[in-house]
Amino acid sequence: MKELLKQKEISILAIILLIGAVLSFVSPVFLTIGNFLDIIEGNVVLGILAIGMTLIIITSDIDVSVAAVTTAVAVSIGYLFTYLPDSWISVLLLFLIAPVIGLVMGLVNGLLVSIIEIPAIVVTLGTLNIIAGIVLYITNGNYINSTSFPKSFMEFANYELLGIPILIYLLAIVAIGTWYILKHTLIGRSVLAIGGNTQSSVRVGIDYKKVKLFVFAYMGVLAGIAAIAQTAYTKAVDPNGMLGLELTVIAAVVLGGANIHGGRGSVHGTLLGVLLLAIMQNGMILARIDTYWQNVVTGAIIVIAVSYDHISYKRSQDKLAKIEVEA
Amino acid sequence: MKLSKESILGLIALGTFLLLALIAPGFLSSNNITSMMFQLPEFGLIALAMMVVIVTGGIDLSITYIAALSGVGAALMLTNGYGMLPAIIVAILFALACGAFNGFVISKIGVSPILVTLGTMVLFEGIILAITKGNSISGFSDGYSLIGNGYYLGLVPLSIVIFVLFAIITAILLSKTSWGRSVYMYGSNETATLFSGVKNSRVLMKVYLYASLLAAISAIIMTSRYNSVKVDLGSSYLLQSVAAAVLGGTNIHGGYGKVIGTVYAVMIFQFIRNGLNLLGFHSSLVDVVIGAILILVLAMNFFSDKFKKAAETRKAEKAA
Repeated sequence: MKELLKQKEISILAIILLIGAVLSFVSPVFLTIGNFLDIIEGNVVLGILAIGMTLIIITSDIDVSVAAVTTAVAVSIGYLFTYLPDSWISVLLLFLIAPVIGLVMGLVNGLLVSIIEIPAIVVTLGTLNIIAGIVLYITNGNYINSTSFPKSFMEFANYELLGIPILIYLLAIVAIGTWYILKHTLIGRSVLAIGGNTQSSVRVGIDYKKVKLFVFAYMGVLAGIAAIAQTAYTKAVDPNGMLGLELTVIAAVVLGGANIHGGRGSVHGTLLGVLLLAIMQNGMILARIDTYWQNVVTGAIIVIAVSYDHISYKRSQDKLAKIEVEA
Repeated sequence: MKLSKESILGLIALGTFLLLALIAPGFLSSNNITSMMFQLPEFGLIALAMMVVIVTGGIDLSITYIAALSGVGAALMLTNGYGMLPAIIVAILFALACGAFNGFVISKIGVSPILVTLGTMVLFEGIILAITKGNSISGFSDGYSLIGNGYYLGLVPLSIVIFVLFAIITAILLSKTSWGRSVYMYGSNETATLFSGVKNSRVLMKVYLYASLLAAISAIIMTSRYNSVKVDLGSSYLLQSVAAAVLGGTNIHGGYGKVIGTVYAVMIFQFIRNGLNLLGFHSSLVDVVIGAILILVLAMNFFSDKFKKAAETRKAEKAA
């Protein structure tokens, strides 16, 4: 039990429950299943991207091009729709094509980081500029709206299984899949090892370049899936719709307990981080906080959360040091 | 002959200038040159601010919102009937307050800069929104608009004089003062710096204060040039300033970075943006070119390092 309480994820859960408790007093709508499903469905894209980002942050890198990659895939989907026949096969085909487009862009990032050894923040800053520029050039910033979407895709987007929107299942599949990879596969364990201690893990025989390439490629695949989710959720493709989302993604991962210096992070923690951001946003609307003040609250909570986390981390390190001296 | 990283970059800047002078019509016209000189300082100052922070191994994602908030400070003073000087002072004070907050959380509590500034970015944006309600504030006095639009001695834009002045000050501070030396030391090895008797937290605090001061100067120039201020004032400069600092040779992990390199990088960006515009390229393609240059230059660095190492080992083998 003590072990469980010490886990970081528990403290995030406690914060979420606290905010939830306050909100359920403030607004009777908050504690309804409908509202909860709305909150989750509205943050599926953020969730999928944050799960991919978790892997990258565990290896102590960062990817600021995620929003641009997702937008690029979404725009490609929008253009593809004019060529795809109106049947459920096109929807299936979409789930093959979109991740592959994302994968290609992820691989470019991954190759530049692992083979050419350019720091990830610089590489992804460069690809962010390139991809976003090309997208804006091609689309001219124009919307692609749902009139050109095949009916089958709209059916897929509105489909509900057991009263739960299909997109939530998508997020669940991505989350469980990634959890399995991190926990039970060689490459997943290597990701955690590289983040924990790069030198030792290389000496043990882990292929550093392969792991780096993997995390960026995986991020690309998830960006492709997120693009489908975004298109299905908004029922339109907006080339400017995800501007700056990369920073929210990073904030969610960090709130979820991943260490920006690598080695620590988990899928369920990240999901809690996403949930925290989502509930805050939803709660502030329900509590009728002036929209202009919402960013102040969000920003303050991020700063307080990361500061609190660091202080408790330092305390635990100090304790470790003391034990060593005594021994 | 051996050239430093910075002089190679200077040659690239000169090369782009000459190339664009040849192919872009009207690039060399006095009109175009002055308009470039008017556009460069605001971005240049933010890039310098970012460079100083990156030298310590950090990053300041809130820098453009610090600039916007200080611009709002100046605008509030001006539209409420105060003079230029109080407005400028308030702008600087607003920025310093933001910088002090960043500096406090980063240096005293010890949270990593990227996380703190990610949070304060949202926080400062929120404060601006709460003050302005999302509207723009405009209509400043003629005297104030001279800062961004006026000429010094009727020849050179005043803003570029301010930029050059602050570039020189930054260079002197970094290379000639003990604070500047500590900034480089901290960037290359935190622990060793602490153990050699440097008060790390004080050095860091000053770094974030200085960066926000530069942001305030940039904000004053921007507000004066546009004659209005909005929440997104200069926000497009955020990632570009990181790109300029890195292209200018600053090590993203800290410990190395020179003012002159960043200035060259800013010039290259300005030439390309302006030249491509004249050539009739779509404005979004400028971003593509800048992104490509950033990656290409760093890839070239990697390969030239590799060749150098290979050549050295060959030499060593021959000698043996």
